[in-house]
Amino acid sequence: MLTFVGLGLYDERSITLQGRDALQEADRVFAERYTSKLVGASFEDVEAAHGVGIELRTREGVEQDPEPILAAAERGDAVFCTAGDPMISTTHVDLRLRAHERGIDTRIVHGTTAAAAASSLTGLQNYRFGKATTLPFESSHGGDGVPGSVIETIEANRERGLHTLVFLDIKVDDDREDYMTGGEAASLLAADWEATAPAVVVARAGSPEPLVRGDRLTELAGEDFGDPLHLLVIPGELHYVERDALVELAGLPADAGEDLLV
Amino acid sequence: MGRRKKIVQECETLMDKPENIRNIAIAAHVDHGKTTLTDNLLAGAGMIADEGEATKLMMDTEEDEQERGITIDAANVSMTHEYEGTNHLINLIDTPGHVDFGGDVTRAMRAVDGALVVVDAVEGAMPQTETVLRQALREGVKPTLFINKVDRLISELQEGPEEMQERLLSVIHDVNELIRGMTKEMDDIEDWTVSVEEGTVGFGSALYKWGVSMPSMQRTGMDFGEIMELERADKRQELHERTPLSDVVLDMVCEHFPNPVDAQPRRVPRIWRGDADSELAEDMALVNEDGEVVFMVTDISMDPHAGEIATGRVFSGTLEKGQELYVSGTAGKNRLQSVGLFMGGEREEVERVPAGNIAAVTGLKDAIAGSTVSSVEMTPFESIEHISEPVITKSVEAQSMDDLPKLIETLQQVAKEDPTINIEINEDTGEHLISGQGELHLEVVTQRIERNQGIPVNTGEPIVVYREAPQTASREVEGISPNRHNRFYITVEPLDDDIVETIKRGEASMDMPELERREALQEAGLDKDTSQEVEHIHGSNIFIDDTKGIQHLNETMELVIEGLEEALNDGPLANEPVQGSLIRLHDARLHEDAIHRGPAQVIPAVRHAVHNALIDAEIRLLEPIQDVRIDVPNDHMGAASGEIQGRRGRVDDMYQEGDLMVVEGIAPVDEMIGFSSDIRSATEGRASWNTENAGFRVMADNLQPEKIMEIRERKGMKTELPEAVDYF
Repeated sequence: MLTFVGLGLYDERSITLQGRDALQEADRVFAERYTSKLVGASFEDVEAAHGVGIELRTREGVEQDPEPILAAAERGDAVFCTAGDPMISTTHVDLRLRAHERGIDTRIVHGTTAAAAASSLTGLQNYRFGKATTLPFESSHGGDGVPGSVIETIEANRERGLHTLVFLDIKVDDDREDYMTGGEAASLLAADWEATAPAVVVARAGSPEPLVRGDRLTELAGEDFGDPLHLLVIPGELHYVERDALVELAGLPADAGEDLLV
Repeated sequence: MGRRKKIVQECETLMDKPENIRNIAIAAHVDHGKTTLTDNLLAGAGMIADEGEATKLMMDTEEDEQERGITIDAANVSMTHEYEGTNHLINLIDTPGHVDFGGDVTRAMRAVDGALVVVDAVEGAMPQTETVLRQALREGVKPTLFINKVDRLISELQEGPEEMQERLLSVIHDVNELIRGMTKEMDDIEDWTVSVEEGTVGFGSALYKWGVSMPSMQRTGMDFGEIMELERADKRQELHERTPLSDVVLDMVCEHFPNPVDAQPRRVPRIWRGDADSELAEDMALVNEDGEVVFMVTDISMDPHAGEIATGRVFSGTLEKGQELYVSGTAGKNRLQSVGLFMGGEREEVERVPAGNIAAVTGLKDAIAGSTVSSVEMTPFESIEHISEPVITKSVEAQSMDDLPKLIETLQQVAKEDPTINIEINEDTGEHLISGQGELHLEVVTQRIERNQGIPVNTGEPIVVYREAPQTASREVEGISPNRHNRFYITVEPLDDDIVETIKRGEASMDMPELERREALQEAGLDKDTSQEVEHIHGSNIFIDDTKGIQHLNETMELVIEGLEEALNDGPLANEPVQGSLIRLHDARLHEDAIHRGPAQVIPAVRHAVHNALIDAEIRLLEPIQDVRIDVPNDHMGAASGEIQGRRGRVDDMYQEGDLMVVEGIAPVDEMIGFSSDIRSATEGRASWNTENAGFRVMADNLQPEKIMEIRERKGMKTELPEAVDYF
């Protein structure tokens, strides 16, 4: 059996009880940290808190050499865990399909994820989000500035009055840990798209002190939002309750909110 | 130095009169006497002492040049000469004749308007004669002919007047055949064949410093009979005084070579593809010294005091110290620190150098040989591509770790000075690779690193550079990204030789406007539809995007090309460069989000697909080959041809020429390493020979696996081939 477990958003206590049971019952536990990462706890903290040993796999290890994970799942109970939800904004459905090809049963234990937090922290209705996108570091897409597809996605959503959730790139390997900040993302979009468009930065969702801050991109560009992870929401048209929520909960200037009101 | 100062002053006055300027190169087969001739001209112009035989060559300024007795770098010099009452400024470049240094010749031709081609009367037109003529004519540079070593016909070979005339006429005939053949399809060039009657042919002896031409014989009243008498009687000094070589040649230069005002309107369209109706085009055509500055760098050299010197041709405007100039291919500007002329190996600083001249400047830190330097941003000149690709590689390693940074810097400098050198820096192992035109080429480069920079180095054995090329069309191959969310569908087929040649000659490249590239490729035989979809050219490989309307492919294309280039730089057989393949992208499936179709996904997917397609197209190893010509007395002919045949070579022709036999054939470069000493001992030193790189050829199938394994082992690769390679 291969169980995919979402560790949730922030630290060793973000996992669900079901998830914790799965970890503790497993023969072997694997994890990756290249699609997302718990920023409030290390894997050692997770190991200590739940009394399990975790084998960290690199991107190459998961994608090109999944054999150890599959073999463990064939012989006994294996858990593969990631921060957030194991299937949201990852490519792990591939690993699940490979398991099925081998006749291995699979199961998913959800974790709460940035996509949910973006909606719940900002007060923007989840019904009114369009396609999500990731804003990559320039080095990860082989070009300069903002890739055309990111802008296309935001604009296509806006055309239909929908909000856009913009995930921000993370680069984690042995040499470095880089997280794109809300400020960097706002300044990239301000330069390559619309400087005065209203946007909302969400920082440290799932932590005891999450931050939600709405303003025009140029204003956000200069601000420091503290520790990672950050994400950005570009609101589309606003229902008046959404407008009230952004002004009240995210400090969005009233005039910016008016611009977007239906 | 008084005299020198005076010449510099004279040059400065003449610089402003383009009608009285001649920019010329002296070019020839190795050892036919260019440099000796150049020194004659310098002495004639009063630049060096006129003393007996020219024993120390002024133009060969590098220690190793004087030791080897050959010219390695193109050397520049300016001099003045009075012709028909008018003083002329002659800017002259002496070029190397040895085939390994052909890149220098090509670059020199860009700077000049006339080429004095020197041919040895005894040897006649040789392979390098043909090469330098081609290099000159391609650049729109007008040739004249000087037949050297005529003294040997008279004194050594004891030829009579008729025999001699016949021999000289046959040299002229051969050279004219070459010129005719090469200019046949050049519409902008009228009849450029040379003739004795018109005075575009001179004869003489650079060694004994006498020369004649039809006009000089008319002027001095000396005829061939008299010359033969004096030469036979060993009255060479008298001969020199009565009909000095320098006068004959410099008169010919002034009379028959075009000045910049005549030459530039014709040459600029050949070498520059910018807007022909622009002001810049007009400035260049008119040699306008008040126009925008346009300076083409043809040579970079190091001076221990002044630093890096950029030499080249001023096509428009006036170079002055302190100017801020653009350098093609780099951002920002460079500031001219000094402006000067070359006076026999040494640079003289002057206030300014106007259009039409050859200048030597400092301060252009971003320029390489081939850069276009200008006061406004402009379309750069056509790249001065030298046709031969590097065929031999040698590893270079600093003996002391302390020299490591200095060695890297020096190697980068070497590549800047000589674009026919390829440098691969490997900071991890410290073992760097330099690739060049031949054994001698690399030997000279490494010796200069040791001698001039004082860096003791260890060098490896010379290694031949191979290529890999597909032999048939592949099936459609799928490349899957590591996360399996992206797929690419690719085929490979071999390109026709004509198209490969067109790309190698630089006649179709991604630098040129799309329409011109499309036409050049179609002319070479690429079908119309394909030529319209060219997405990239890498090496001599073409990448075609045959997909239609795939979302996100646009912003993924750069990564696709990165993967493609990686696959082509290191071919699937032995990590050697791939050549002559047409790669088509038929379809692609991409992940919605940019992050899941980043470099770590796309590059390996494309690389695998290209490699697998190449293997499916039965890719094979190609080795460089050389044309070999050996001139040898009859009784050593067997031994000479044996030296070719024993090296997996092929003898194509054997014929008598004068009292010698000529053996012509081809042989692989790999087998030619060490040829010099072997042929010398096989023929008791009686053979003279010439080799010329002649491209790459597929190796025989029975030799492929062994050679591939040898290379893989040397490179530390797995010594087993991919399973799909099952066709040897």
